[in-house]
Formats: sequence, structure tokens, C-alpha cells
Amino acid sequence: MRIVLRNRVALAFGALFVTIVVLCLLAPVYAKDIAHTGPDQNHITETVNVGGKTRDVVSPTGVPIGPTWKARFLLGADSNGRDVAVRLLYGGRNSLEIAAIATLITMVLAIVLGTLAGYTRGLTDGVLSRLFDLVWAYPAVLLGVALGVALAVGGINLGLFTLHSGSLLLPAFVIGIVFFPYVAKPLRAQALSLREREFVDAARIMGYPPPLGQLRIMLGEILPNLTSSIVVFVPLIIANAILLEAGLSYLGAGVQDPNPSWGTMIADGIRLIPGAIHLVLVPGIMLVLTVLSVNVFADGVRDALDPKATVRGRL
Amino acid sequence: MAEGRQAQGTLRALLGISLALAVAAGLGACGSSSTSSSASGGGTATVLMGTAPDSLDPGLGATTQSYEATWITYTGLVTYAHASGEAGTKLIPGVAQSLPTVSDGGKTYTFTLRKGLVYSNGTPVKASDFAYTIERAIKLGWSNESFLSENIVGGEAFEKGKASSISGIQTDDATGAITIKLVAPYGPFLNVLAFPAAGLVPTGTPMKSLTNDPPPGVGPYEIESVVPNKSFAMVRNPDWSKDAIPGIPAGHVNVDVSIVSNNQSEAEQVLDNSADVFDYNDTIPPTLISQVESQAQGRYAKEPTVSGEYFFMNVKEAPFNNALVREAVNYALDRRALQRLDSGMLEPACFFLPLGMPGHPTAKCPYGEPAAAPNLVKAKELVRQSGLAGTSVTVWGGSRAPHKEFVDYYASVLNAIGFKASEKIVADAQYYSTVGNVSNKAQTGWLSYSQDFPNPIDFYQLLDAKSIQPTENHNLSQVDDPHIQSELASLGSVPSSQLSSVVARWQALDQYTAQKAYMAVFGYDEVPKFFSNRIDFTAAIFHPVYGNDWSSLQLK
Repeated sequence: MRIVLRNRVALAFGALFVTIVVLCLLAPVYAKDIAHTGPDQNHITETVNVGGKTRDVVSPTGVPIGPTWKARFLLGADSNGRDVAVRLLYGGRNSLEIAAIATLITMVLAIVLGTLAGYTRGLTDGVLSRLFDLVWAYPAVLLGVALGVALAVGGINLGLFTLHSGSLLLPAFVIGIVFFPYVAKPLRAQALSLREREFVDAARIMGYPPPLGQLRIMLGEILPNLTSSIVVFVPLIIANAILLEAGLSYLGAGVQDPNPSWGTMIADGIRLIPGAIHLVLVPGIMLVLTVLSVNVFADGVRDALDPKATVRGRL
Repeated sequence: MAEGRQAQGTLRALLGISLALAVAAGLGACGSSSTSSSASGGGTATVLMGTAPDSLDPGLGATTQSYEATWITYTGLVTYAHASGEAGTKLIPGVAQSLPTVSDGGKTYTFTLRKGLVYSNGTPVKASDFAYTIERAIKLGWSNESFLSENIVGGEAFEKGKASSISGIQTDDATGAITIKLVAPYGPFLNVLAFPAAGLVPTGTPMKSLTNDPPPGVGPYEIESVVPNKSFAMVRNPDWSKDAIPGIPAGHVNVDVSIVSNNQSEAEQVLDNSADVFDYNDTIPPTLISQVESQAQGRYAKEPTVSGEYFFMNVKEAPFNNALVREAVNYALDRRALQRLDSGMLEPACFFLPLGMPGHPTAKCPYGEPAAAPNLVKAKELVRQSGLAGTSVTVWGGSRAPHKEFVDYYASVLNAIGFKASEKIVADAQYYSTVGNVSNKAQTGWLSYSQDFPNPIDFYQLLDAKSIQPTENHNLSQVDDPHIQSELASLGSVPSSQLSSVVARWQALDQYTAQKAYMAVFGYDEVPKFFSNRIDFTAAIFHPVYGNDWSSLQLK
């Protein structure tokens, strides 16, 4: 921890990330008390006073206003006359929420399956390793798009487990599934190594009967020694999940309208380049800052906990 | 010294001759360029399309993109005059010698085939090819085949496989006689025969989709070099002069069509003259319109079309099974906002039959002036009276701009008047089949409709109870109104040539439809006629049914 605290660059970017998260969490406050509009409210035919001049929020030919640098339409409007700043913050909430849930799904699946595969070996390891390979074989974006499009209209309906098509849990589920082998395989490798260590032998000798004995060893001996790797992976997965979510939403396979997301905002703004370039620049810059801050902070954490860099950040 | 002067003179002469030859070669190259002026015809024009035709097989194609290509390639017994405006809605003889003799109370149409016609591959045209063409369109499942199978005697039996041919079509190859018997008088039947799907193809043309290698036809063009979803070429039929049909001129230029899904790129290419035609079905990006209007003067214009945009409201699903809710939606919509979402290419409106269609009402819109502000107070009150506030509503829409933006706006309006609206955006290619599947129970969503032919019965198939079917449903509001059904039964038998006698009844029916609020019409489309500076803008015809008439394109 002290090593992390001494890394000022990592700290600064970590603080930036926290700032972004806090701002996004305060989206409802900003929308209600400052912008006086919601993320889905259209103001197509309204006007706004900018520098003493009355201007259309959306022109008769459909071009939205750019940044006014005032409370209303601080960062401009989109083609539906919606406040970009408000949608940016709400979109950030959605993107971060999806990234957090996706990371949770990834880490839970990876920890459970990776540890199981690495410790038990044999048939279990064989089956699970092939499962990891199968999912890993598909490029993450393509697999995400395929799953996202397939589920976009009907959602998931598996009896008790139901996700409707507009749910934010749907892209989170897709991203969580796509990324889990990227964590599971290194954890499996570490578990394979750890199971041969003396303290594991000692635990076996102590005579805990299977299968609870094995569970006891995995939870009590293997898992604690994977903690540093797990901690290093979390921010890496968050960063990649944010990027993948933006990509899927851009392609129409992630967050569904009218829920805002940085990816959908960029997609909506593409056709209005260059006249309304703020629609692409604003969410794009936010995306870059967020992913960069997480990545730099993750590098700092990795330097502190995994100085030999056995965990690679690139997925 | 004398030899030196002689040598210099010779050198100058050689230089002069070389220069003259170079100039002559340059002039010759200009003259032989394929992109040169076509005062005597020739050259190639490039058309950019944002959406590929659904099919280039005339027996299958049913989108406006498909018709642009097929109507000048496959001529039927009748076709439309090649003219802009109302003149273009006039039906003229195609491969038939003259317009038909209609007898038996409007149930029998008799034609005679022109003599000496050949297809673009040289095969002689026979009367029996007409029967084969119609059978093929039905067998292939052309999406409008019900116009044929339901109206021609024996059509349904053939469609269901209970007959090997259509009993209501009789042909005589020796005399060229073609007789068509209808189940009942059907006013727009000649318009149906003008569809490219009824454009003749040779008997024996495979009964399968030939979209990648379209069959030969009778027309000024042939379709060649098809690369699916990418490009195709319209090549002038070299034999057309021999088959010249009065009113169907030969084309002036070949046409290369490329599919460019990015409207921005499409518009920029035409603006900077690296492509010639911006397809009228596409939208010029809003940020470019001002630039186009200023830089492309003399080669850009807004053309009105007989087509409309609306939100269907399924009367079988709550909350739209309540008339108060449907009226509320009509009061709440700001049609000026929707006009802006369409880059200004929309005339705000509320009646179902568009301007330019016989029967478009002249009365005032029952929900207020379409180009004025909406009445949200009234709308909220109606929702309150309905007792259905808070109902969840899913709004369906296509993914392509501005359809998605229309849906975003519409959902926000529904939320504003008291519902809980969410959206389902579907890729354009799957949209119509998805919402047209009754099992999806689509409550409401965006729809656009262009005329198939200039007869109001064409639009009213969207409100005809007989159109409701489990899949590929066209009556998305699932309207089954006895008054509409009885009026359609009566008005539908009036031939297109006699529409003026029943215009008042159509107007009354359309006003009734508006008052019932079976849909929320929000505007009539205007489309861009936008060419490069190589094209003679004034000579190019914008056809009221088929859009840009590529056979009228001429290079300056």
C-alpha cells in the first residue's frame, strides 16, 4: 500500500478516476439543480439565450447547438435537443455500473473456475481449460457483438433468470462472460503452481476429508495466495470493460436507447460531424480520461503487488 | 552555315508537327472519354445509394431502391409515363399495343401484345410470357403478390399449390392476345400491372431468386455486374431502338450504382462531383444541408413525395386500444420537432393520405395546425381520463437515422404525457419483419410508407383488416373498422382513370381515419434531388412513383 502511495502518478490518476465516478454519481443532482432537465428530455424546438442572442437548441435543418458554457446546455445539445452534459454524466453512471457488474461477474467466474481447474486438475481441469480456450478463441469485441445482438431484442429468459432487453445487466452479463477466461487462465496457472507448495501438502496431511477438505484447502490455502493477482486484475478488467461496453453500445449491441452511454453518444454524433463535433468529442474525451486513469492506477497497483509483472494488462 | 540554317528549319518544322500532333491527340482523347459530354449520348453516371435494393429480381424486388432499377429494365403490359409531377402518374401502354379493353363490369381485361418485341438477350417476347411472369412473382413470394393472387381468378389456388397455372389468365401466342379475369372489379388493377414484378421475363426463367444475375427484360436498360449489397450496373439495352415503345425513351447514359451506407460520404461525393447522383431515398446529413444549398445551387432541390411518416398504434394492445390515448398522442406530438429531426425534409401533417394523392383532405387537422406547437395540456388530460397513465409502452424503431431519433423523441413524448416508455431499436434490415410479426405484440412504433401506385387504395391497405396476417403484417395498427371496410369495398372497385369522381368520398374517409386516430401521422417526406454538376439537372425527371428516372439522366 505504501508503495502505491509513493507513486504520485498512479495516485493522481486514481484521484481522477474517483472524481469521475463521483461526478457521475451526482448526475441526478446536476440534472435537477443545475441543468434543469433530464437525460431523456427532448428540447428540439426550444431556444436558449447564448451571449445575449436567442438560438435554436436544434436548428431547422437538424443541427444541434454547441457548448454554451452556461448551466443550460453546458456542453451543447444532441440532435434530439437533449443536454449533452447531463447525458454524459448519466451515461457515465451506466458505463461504470456495467463495468463494475461485469468485473464482478468476471472475477467471480474466474476465481471459482480458475482455482477449481488449477487445484483439481484431471478431467475437471481438462473440461474447464477447454471452456476457457473456447471463449478466449473468439475476439472479445466480436463475441460481445454476437451475444449483444442476439439478446438485444428478446433479452434472456431462462425460467428464474430473466433479463429484459433494455436492462443494463444484459451488457454487463455479456462483457462478464467475454472477459472471464482472460483472468481464469492466469489464476489457474498460479493455482497449479501453488498446489505443489509445502503448505498445501501440510494441509493435505492434516487429513481434511474430500470433498470438503479440498474446498477447505482451496479457500484457506490457495485463494489467499491469489489475492495480489486478483487485486491487480480488478482495475484492468474495469478499464477493459468500460472500453468494451462503449464499443458494444456504439455498435448497437450494448446499452439500448434511450439509456445514455458514452458509446451510444458517440454513435449518435457520428453523422453530425463536423458541424456538431462536440457530440463525439465530449464522450470520447471522457472515455479516454476514464480508461487512462484506471489503467495508470492499475499499473501502480501492479508495480506494488506484482513487481515481477506476472500479470499482463493487455487483453 | 546554310546547312546549319537548313537544320534549324527542319528542327522547327519537326517541333511544329510534333506540337500539332500532341494537340490533336489531346483533343481526340477528350472527345473519346467515356465521361465526355453526351450531346450524342454515351457516358456513365454514378449513383450512390445508402440502402441496397432488397432484390434486383423483378419477381421479388419491392423497395423503392429496387424499383428505381427494375422499372426501366422490365416493362409490363402497361407502365407510367416518363414525366415529373402529375403527368408521371398517367398509365401508358407498355408491351401491350394499347390500354386494355375492360369488360364484364370491370372484371375482364383484354390486351394485345405488340409485335416483334425481343428481350435484352434477343429472345422473342410471347404472350404466354405474361402468364409465366405473374406465376413466377407469386411463386417467388414477391411481398406484394397478394395484389395478383387475390385479384386474378385462380391466383389463390395457384399460390397454394392447388393449381399448376392461373386459370384467370388466358394467352394466345399466335395472336398476341392476353385476357385477364378478375375475381371482382379492382380499380387499381392497371397500376398493379405497371409494377416491375409484372414486367415480362422469358418463360422458363428459373423459379428462384436471380437477384445476383437478373433475368433479361424488355426495357431501355439491362442490369449487370451485380455485387450483392455493394454495386450493380445499369447498361443501356443495345437493342432498345428496335423495340422502341412510344413513351419509353432509350437511356442516355449507363449507370453505375454503388451502395454507400454512410450518408455523409454519399453527400460529400456528390457535392464535390466525384459521384453524380445522391439517391433520393437517403437523407443528406443535417450539417451538410446548408453547405449543399449554398454550393450546389442549380443542382439541388427538395422534391415532394407521396409518402408519409407515422407512428402506428396497435388497437389490440393497451394502452392504444383506448381511443382517448390515441387522440392524446396526436395532440402531444410536436410535428415541427420531427421535421427538424428529419433535417427539415418533412412537411408537418396529420392526415393519412399525403399531398399529391387523390383524396388528401382539404379540411383542417382535428388536432390543431400540424406546424404549430402541440397541445400537451389536452393530451395529459385525455390520458388522465383514459385511466391508463403509467402503462408501460415499448416503442419500436429502426436503427438508421433519423428513424431512431424519431423514436427517441416519441418515447420522450409518451413519458411526458404519463406513460412509461422504453424503446426497442432493431436493425433496419430486420425491422419490418420484426414489427410485422404479430406474435411480438408491437404496441407502437415508427413506420414510413411510400405509394406503390397513385391510388389511395394503396395506402389504405395499411388499414384494411384483410391485410392483417401473422407475419409480414402491413396493418400494424391492426385496425378492423367496419366503416373503413365498407368504404374500401366500394371505393376499391373504381378504376384509377375514374378516381376524380370519388375524391370527395376518399377525403371524407381520410378525415374519419384521422378522427379515429388509428395512427399518429406526423409528416410527408420531401426528398433531395441532388446531382453533380456533370448532370443536366433540368432534363432529369423526378418521377412521382419511382423517384429519379435514371433513363432521363444526361451528361452536360
